[in-house]
Amino acid sequence: MRFWGLRVGMLIALLLAVSMLTFGAMNLLGDPLFNILGPVAGDTENPENIAKIQAAKEQFYLDRPLPERYVRWLGDFVTGDFGVRFSASGQPPVSEIIKERLPRTLALSGMAMTFTLAIGIPWGVWSGSRSETARDRLSTGVAFFFIAMPNFALAVVLYYVVGIRLGWLPLRFDAGAPFWQRMHQLVLPALTLALGGAAVYQRLLRTDMITTLQEDFILMARAKGLSRRHILFRHALRPSLFSVVTLFGINAGAVFSGALIVELIFGIPGVGSLFVESIFREDFPVVLALVMILTAAFVVMNFVIDILYSVIDPRVRQ
Amino acid sequence: MKLTAELPVDESSGAVKARRLGLGFWLPMSWMILIVGVALLAPVLPLKDPTDYFIRPGERPPYPPSADHWFGTDQDARDMFSRIISGARVSLAVGFMSVTMSFIVGGALGMVAGLVRGWFDRLASFLFLVLLSFPGLVLVILFIALIGRSVLTISVTLAIAGIAPVGRLARAATLSFAEREFVIAARTLGARNSRILFRELLPNVIIPMGALVLLGVAAAIVAEGGLAFLGLSIEKGETWGKLIRNGAGSRVLRDSPWVAFGPITVMFLTLASLNYIGDYLRDFFNVRETGLGR
Repeated sequence: MRFWGLRVGMLIALLLAVSMLTFGAMNLLGDPLFNILGPVAGDTENPENIAKIQAAKEQFYLDRPLPERYVRWLGDFVTGDFGVRFSASGQPPVSEIIKERLPRTLALSGMAMTFTLAIGIPWGVWSGSRSETARDRLSTGVAFFFIAMPNFALAVVLYYVVGIRLGWLPLRFDAGAPFWQRMHQLVLPALTLALGGAAVYQRLLRTDMITTLQEDFILMARAKGLSRRHILFRHALRPSLFSVVTLFGINAGAVFSGALIVELIFGIPGVGSLFVESIFREDFPVVLALVMILTAAFVVMNFVIDILYSVIDPRVRQ
Repeated sequence: MKLTAELPVDESSGAVKARRLGLGFWLPMSWMILIVGVALLAPVLPLKDPTDYFIRPGERPPYPPSADHWFGTDQDARDMFSRIISGARVSLAVGFMSVTMSFIVGGALGMVAGLVRGWFDRLASFLFLVLLSFPGLVLVILFIALIGRSVLTISVTLAIAGIAPVGRLARAATLSFAEREFVIAARTLGARNSRILFRELLPNVIIPMGALVLLGVAAAIVAEGGLAFLGLSIEKGETWGKLIRNGAGSRVLRDSPWVAFGPITVMFLTLASLNYIGDYLRDFFNVRETGLGR
């Protein structure tokens, strides 16, 4: 129990530190008044403008000290109310905007992670079982290509080759299309995000596989006359699952932030474009909410993975 | 591997002689020398002006690659070859500058944390953990939203993102050496922490860390490219990311793919070389690590 208590305490401390850093940076480095009122905010001579500034300060609680604003914001944030935008009207509320955009990004990320596993694991097992053949060397070359290629460049290459030249997959995302059609439109962007991660899985699993396949229990399984596929996926893959799980957590961060970029290239109206628009409009409550949501998702995901470790292997608890 | 881990290897003689840098090292290395050299010498090389418009009467740009324009031109009839080189100057500068800064700050924090332990170690480790909690570019985007977008600020922001991974590595490397005999010997002789840090630990930690510098440069160049696609890279001048983005519109890509594929190829070759040399050096020095035993 003590172990879990410490873990959860650490998770909360981490999320609090992240939120303080983000909130503090937003409020100390940026000047929210300018975004609400425009140039009026700099005017300290005209009494009419001073009154406006005062009113806006009160409306957005900017006259309160920073810690108080932080606690106020945090209290609202954990209940799902992300506050109002820094604009003259403050409408629509940040929660509404995010509720519309976030599912698309999550769908894209989820699909990308599924593809990563679906491609990377069989690929790694296959090349590990055929190490040092010509085909293995070719697959190593391919993996190296995907690892060195940044996701935005790969997006452009796939967009051109698969989308324009071959015409196999749809290129544009239509938010009004039926569900299955939208999923189909997400395949190419998800593939873009998945291939780099899949190549990393391949490298890792290949090395693990080569070691595992020399173990006595594999020889034993072979002697019993088990099929090749059964040996590879049931006996040899299992000891490597630990590293697969680790990699999944690390890769999640790359997928989340990669999704922001890939969305823009494929015209998916997810949080990526919202992020960029809000930055240019200096609409900090939106940026703050997005940073917090993405970071919390990433941290909680890695927390779950930590728990998975100790389920798989109780020795980790010490 | 197991054998060398147990044998007391004489570092100076046996280990170095057996390992030679082959073609797999020199091929990517010569590409790096070429691209860095061209980027440095760009002002004195006889290149076309990257901002000049080479419009041919009666033809609509972008023009395909030709003897005149090796990589073709972009939509405004500007020479892609010289634009890629001008982009190389900024992209490489951002890469090397940010890595230098993150290695100095992260390396110092990590090494001191690993040596003095105690509250400082706990504080630094927590700081690294907080910085690592932001997925990928999110931390960088956060800071860039708040400060300007010049070559220096982008480098500093990318450096901040690099502090945590570098710091963790430096701390781990320091920890593995901090209890070793030569450090204890130095301490017994009355050496101060600062002397142990610079004279005993730094020479040992700097080698495995040095192999990671190139991987860091590659990561920083990729990060800058990602920012360029978000429209958050430097405002003035060219970078590889901005050039690729410029050619990535669906119509330009369909009718004149060379606008995007020129910079993609050069960037890819550079990143592949950096990764390859980085991996190579890491393996190269890991042998020494295992040879020393842990």
